[in-house]
Amino acid sequence: MSHPDAQWRPTGALGRAVVVAAVAVCGALLVGDPALLVIAVPFVAIATLGLLHRPARSPVLAARLDHASLHEGQGTTSRLTLADADDAEYLTRASGHAPYVAMRPHQGQAGALLDGPAGPAPLVEVSPRRWGRRVLGEEKVALMSPWAGYRFGPLLLGGQQLRVLPATSAYDSRAEAPHPLGLVGAHRSRRPGAGTELAGIRPFLPGDRLRRVNWRVSLRTGDLHVISTRAEEDTGVLLVVDALADHGASGGVDGPSSSLDLSVRAASAIAEHHVRSGDRVALRVVGRGRELVGYGTGTRHLRRLHHTLAGIRPGEMVGEADPGVLQLGVTGGTVVILLSPMLAESIGTVAAMLTRRGVPVLVVDTLPGEVRPGVAEGTDPRTAMLAWRMRVLERSMVLRRLAALGCPVVPWRGPGTIDDVLRRLARRAELPRVAAR
Amino acid sequence: MTTMVGETMTELGELSRGQLVLRVVVLLGPVVALLASGPAGHWPPWWVIALVVGLAGGFAAFPESPVGVVAILTVLVWWTAALDDGLHPAVLVAATALLASHVAAVLASYGPGEMPVDPALLRLWAVRGTLLLVAVPLVWGLALLLRGEAEEPGIWVVGVATGLVGTVAAGVALTSRQQEEES
Repeated sequence: MSHPDAQWRPTGALGRAVVVAAVAVCGALLVGDPALLVIAVPFVAIATLGLLHRPARSPVLAARLDHASLHEGQGTTSRLTLADADDAEYLTRASGHAPYVAMRPHQGQAGALLDGPAGPAPLVEVSPRRWGRRVLGEEKVALMSPWAGYRFGPLLLGGQQLRVLPATSAYDSRAEAPHPLGLVGAHRSRRPGAGTELAGIRPFLPGDRLRRVNWRVSLRTGDLHVISTRAEEDTGVLLVVDALADHGASGGVDGPSSSLDLSVRAASAIAEHHVRSGDRVALRVVGRGRELVGYGTGTRHLRRLHHTLAGIRPGEMVGEADPGVLQLGVTGGTVVILLSPMLAESIGTVAAMLTRRGVPVLVVDTLPGEVRPGVAEGTDPRTAMLAWRMRVLERSMVLRRLAALGCPVVPWRGPGTIDDVLRRLARRAELPRVAAR
Repeated sequence: MTTMVGETMTELGELSRGQLVLRVVVLLGPVVALLASGPAGHWPPWWVIALVVGLAGGFAAFPESPVGVVAILTVLVWWTAALDDGLHPAVLVAATALLASHVAAVLASYGPGEMPVDPALLRLWAVRGTLLLVAVPLVWGLALLLRGEAEEPGIWVVGVATGLVGTVAAGVALTSRQQEEES
C-alpha cells in the first residue's frame, strides 16, 4: 500500500492536547500558578495516553460488493475487510454523494468501534437507482487509534464499476407475431404444420398420422378425415433504440423517467418477453455507441442484451453520411420495434422506409409527457421554448405521416402496450399486398 | 473571503444534529472557562470575551484546526494574568469546560460533519471524560492542602514529574490489560 495517506498520523486533537498540556505545565512551573496545573491535568492525561497508543502496524483495507451484477433498484452490501488493524479502535467509512446511487446509512457514512483484530467493520448498503455505468462502493476510510491520538487515512478505496441493468418491469404480451418465419416457436404461422392451433378438418391423405384422424367426422361422412393444424414458429424481433438524445430529467427507478429511461426499460421488457417466448431478438442502438447485438435466443443472449442496453450513452452518431440510410439489418420474418421519442429526422425516415418495404414496424413513443427543453446558459428561455414548440409540432406531423403509411405509433404504457397493434399487424400480414421496392 | 465564509456556513448547515450539539459544546467550552474567572473576582473585558468567542467559533467550525489551541491558550493566559489566587473553585468549572470542549472536538473529528455521532463512541468518550475529570478536583484539593506551606526547592518539578510518571504508568497498565483482554 503505497498511498501517501496510508500511514498513521498524529491527529489535531493529540497536537492540541500536547501543546495545551506543555504550555500549561511550563506556565505553572514558571509563574507558580497551581490553577494552570489544575486545568492542564486532563490534557496531560489525554496527550500521554494518546502517545502511548501510538500504532506500530499499518492496516490493510479492502472493500468488496456482494454482487457483481445488479438491476436498477436492487441493492447489495459493501463489505470492508481489515488486516493488521489491531492498533485501531474506531473505523469510519464515508462514500459521499454519487449520482443515482442510494446508500444506507446516508451517503455511506458509518462508523464503528472495532472490538478486536478482526472486529466487524460497519456495512454499507448500496442500491443503484438508474441503469447505466455506475461506480459503486467508492469511499474514504479512516481508522483512529485509542484516545484519538493517531489517524490512518482517510484512504480512498476505489469502487467497482458496474453496468447496472435496466429494471425488468412487468411485461407480457399475448399477441401473435405478424411474420413468424423460423423453425420452432410459440407463434401461429400461416402454413400448416404440427402445431396445436386448429386450421381445419380435411380428407385423409397418405402420410397423415392416425392420431390426427377425427373419428366423429369420419363416421358421419363415411370417409377418413383428419384435423389439420398450423405450424408454430418463432419470429425475429429487432429492437431499435433511439439514443441520439435523452429528453427530460431522470429521477431514477422511483422518480420521473427520461426518454432514454423509457426506451431502455421498454426494450429490456420486450426483449425479455420475446426471448422467453423462444423468439430471436436483435438489438440496434442508434446513437453515439452504435451498439449492435445480433439475433439470438436464450438466457445468455438476454443477459447480453441487458448489458448492451445498460451501456448506452446518449449522443449523436458521428460520421453518418446520410441519416436516411441507417442499415438496420432487417431480415425476412422480422418485426421491427422502434423505441424513440421521435424527435430525430433519421428515425422517422427509417420507420417510413421499412413500412414501405412491407416490414412490420411498430414505433413505441418514449417522449415523456411533462418534458421541458434543457436551456443552455445564455439562451433566452422564451426563444428556447418557441423552438421546442416548433420541434414538437414537427414531431406530431411525422407521427401523422407514419400513421398514414400504416406504421402504428403507441406510447409506452407497460404490459400490453403493443398487444393491440401487433394483432392488427398480424391480421394485416395475412392480407395480400404490394410492397414498394 | 466572502466565498470562504459562505462555504463554511453551507458546511455548518449540513451538519447532523449530533454534530451540531458537539460544535455548540466546542464553542461554549472556552467561553464558559473564560467567564468562570468572573465569580473568582475578575470579569474579563468585552474585547477579551469577543476574542475568545471568535476563536471558539473558529474552533467549532474547524475542530481539527490549530484555532482550538489558540482559544484554549488565550483562556489560560487570562487565568494566569488576571487572578492572584488561582485556586478559586471556579477553576474547576474552567477545567471542566475546557475538557468538554476538547472532547467534543475529538468526537466531531471522527468523521464527516454530516455523519451522525455514534452512540457507542459517545458513551466511550463520556466515560473517559468522566475519569479524566476525577483528576481535576484531586489536584485542586492537593494544591489547596499545600497552599501556605513553605515551598521546598524543586517541589513543583517533583510534583509535575510525579504526575507525569503516574499518568504514564496508568496508561501502560491500561494498555497491557486491554491487550491481554483482546488476546
